[in-house]
Amino acid sequence: MIKIEVEHFTKDYGFGRGVFDISFQIHEGEVYGFLGPNGAGKSTTIRHLLGFSKPDKGHTRILGMETFTNYDKFMDKIGYLPGEIALPEGLTGYEFIEMIKELKRVKDDKYIKYLCDLFEVDPTGETKRMSLGMKRKLAIVAAFMNDPEILILDEPTSGLDLKMQQVFIDFIKEEKERGKTILLSSHIFSEVDATCDRIAIIKEGKIVAEFYATDLKHSKNKNYEVEFSSLDDLHVFRNLYEKSDKFTIINQEDNHLLININDENINYLIKALSHVHFRSFSQLKETLEDYFMKYYKEDRDFGGAIQWKKS
Amino acid sequence: MEKVIEIKDVTKDFGNGRGIFDIDLSIYKGEMLGFIGPNGAGKTTTIRTIMGFIKPDKGSITVKGMDAWKDSARIKQFVGYVPGEIGFPDYKSGTDFLKAIAEFKGVKDLSYANYLIEKLQLDPSANLKRMSKGMKQKTAIVASLLADNDIIILDEPTTGLDPLMRVSFLDIIKAEKAKGKTIFMSSHVYEELEKTCDRVALINNGRIVDVVKLDDIKNRKVTDFKIEFTNRDDYLNFKRLNYQIIRDQETYNQVTITIEKDRIKMLFNDLTNYQVKFIAEIKYTLERHFNELIKRGEVI
Repeated sequence: MIKIEVEHFTKDYGFGRGVFDISFQIHEGEVYGFLGPNGAGKSTTIRHLLGFSKPDKGHTRILGMETFTNYDKFMDKIGYLPGEIALPEGLTGYEFIEMIKELKRVKDDKYIKYLCDLFEVDPTGETKRMSLGMKRKLAIVAAFMNDPEILILDEPTSGLDLKMQQVFIDFIKEEKERGKTILLSSHIFSEVDATCDRIAIIKEGKIVAEFYATDLKHSKNKNYEVEFSSLDDLHVFRNLYEKSDKFTIINQEDNHLLININDENINYLIKALSHVHFRSFSQLKETLEDYFMKYYKEDRDFGGAIQWKKS
Repeated sequence: MEKVIEIKDVTKDFGNGRGIFDIDLSIYKGEMLGFIGPNGAGKTTTIRTIMGFIKPDKGSITVKGMDAWKDSARIKQFVGYVPGEIGFPDYKSGTDFLKAIAEFKGVKDLSYANYLIEKLQLDPSANLKRMSKGMKQKTAIVASLLADNDIIILDEPTTGLDPLMRVSFLDIIKAEKAKGKTIFMSSHVYEELEKTCDRVALINNGRIVDVVKLDDIKNRKVTDFKIEFTNRDDYLNFKRLNYQIIRDQETYNQVTITIEKDRIKMLFNDLTNYQVKFIAEIKYTLERHFNELIKRGEVI
């Protein structure tokens, strides 16, 4: 069952900024990762999904409802954690929690207490004087206190320390187990890697890749680096297998060879290597970061010099 | 080797178990030392003590032989520093602020500052107060590096940067390191330290619990392989051989073994007798190193 749906959604802010004709669907119980740098369009998409703004073209739907016109009907079913937290001032953490509790008509304190304990929230003291991390943890409690079925998370762990990041990742996994549908926008590869079922890479307002996380993690296509005992050994191997259709030699550096092979041919490579002397055998694994960077590499060096303004 | 920063037996006790205790750490000339640990472990306190913002209860810190507390004003002039939480003084724009820093550090030529601005794609003309987290972080980075100082101290410099900016920043830091600078950088992100540092110190509950050379992590004598066999018999027969199995996943016909690198050849000879479904290397990383320390209970 589709819980979140974006269909041919376009929002053009001019100057090439905005989101252009993107489509994706998130099914019940799925964690969907939205991966991209600042300015790629992640927050724009999320803010439309929440009904804060109207698409120029296309649709953003939650629970089958067009979000801009129906936000009052689904707001109580989603928990939204914004990218930059702005808490109301002049309140203590307790007062803030009470305020949200009333807004969300939460009757029971049990889940609030559970969240406060889990994230080690100390709601004493004024929100204004809290550290960045504490503010974010307070926002987490506020967003999830009514135990909503859909979680929309925009850079949820920025400002949290390592330990709390891990707590948050475990929390997402538990929520997934409980059948929640989750959209996670992030540029922290490790948390996307640890939680997401499917991942979309967004670049300049367009989705440039969408894939299942397991396909990347357990790719059957592997790269190995073999260090031969001598150049002679390497040459023997090369001469024998240069033209092999079972694996590909993609690079050579000194007495090292880089070999690309599919798992189904691994026994062939094992046999081939048993005939020569080699010193080490290691795998070069493509991480989510490597994969992401492929889409972004070509324009790593952008922009002209910014002139110092003469004052 | 010359010790550029020397922390000797430093304690700063904030009470209730908070603070830093008996810290001993030296950073050598031309070295990049990483600093990792949970929030509240004492990273920022240690760094602020080096910068002379905090007076230690006991012990001493010297930077280039100068006392970190007494000579703090002088030290700030020749150390590039990115603070953990950024609170800018009241300047109108980033440009004004950067110019003030340049003046404080006696920098006349702003071409390096401009190079950094370009590399980080910062628009410094923006209003300081209205900048996003990422822009503030970039401004702080430019401010810390524009004087081309020999010593750089960075407290979580990549917080708030997106992955592309992170890569640009790490490129800049690698270039600084290549120039022979002495760098001390704290971070939440293991991979970042792994890619840049010579050594990494782990701090927990205010105490340094381990200092590890990255070369030792990268050049371990042993390596771990996960091997899955196509059929049950091969899996069972392989298990009878004399390999050190560190993880056994029976339902998948899968074993993870740890093996000296010079025995890999032998392993392959043995494997020719079986049908292997896949073989994957389980890398030994900085993160794994520290996690295993914690698991073995060597870290409180």
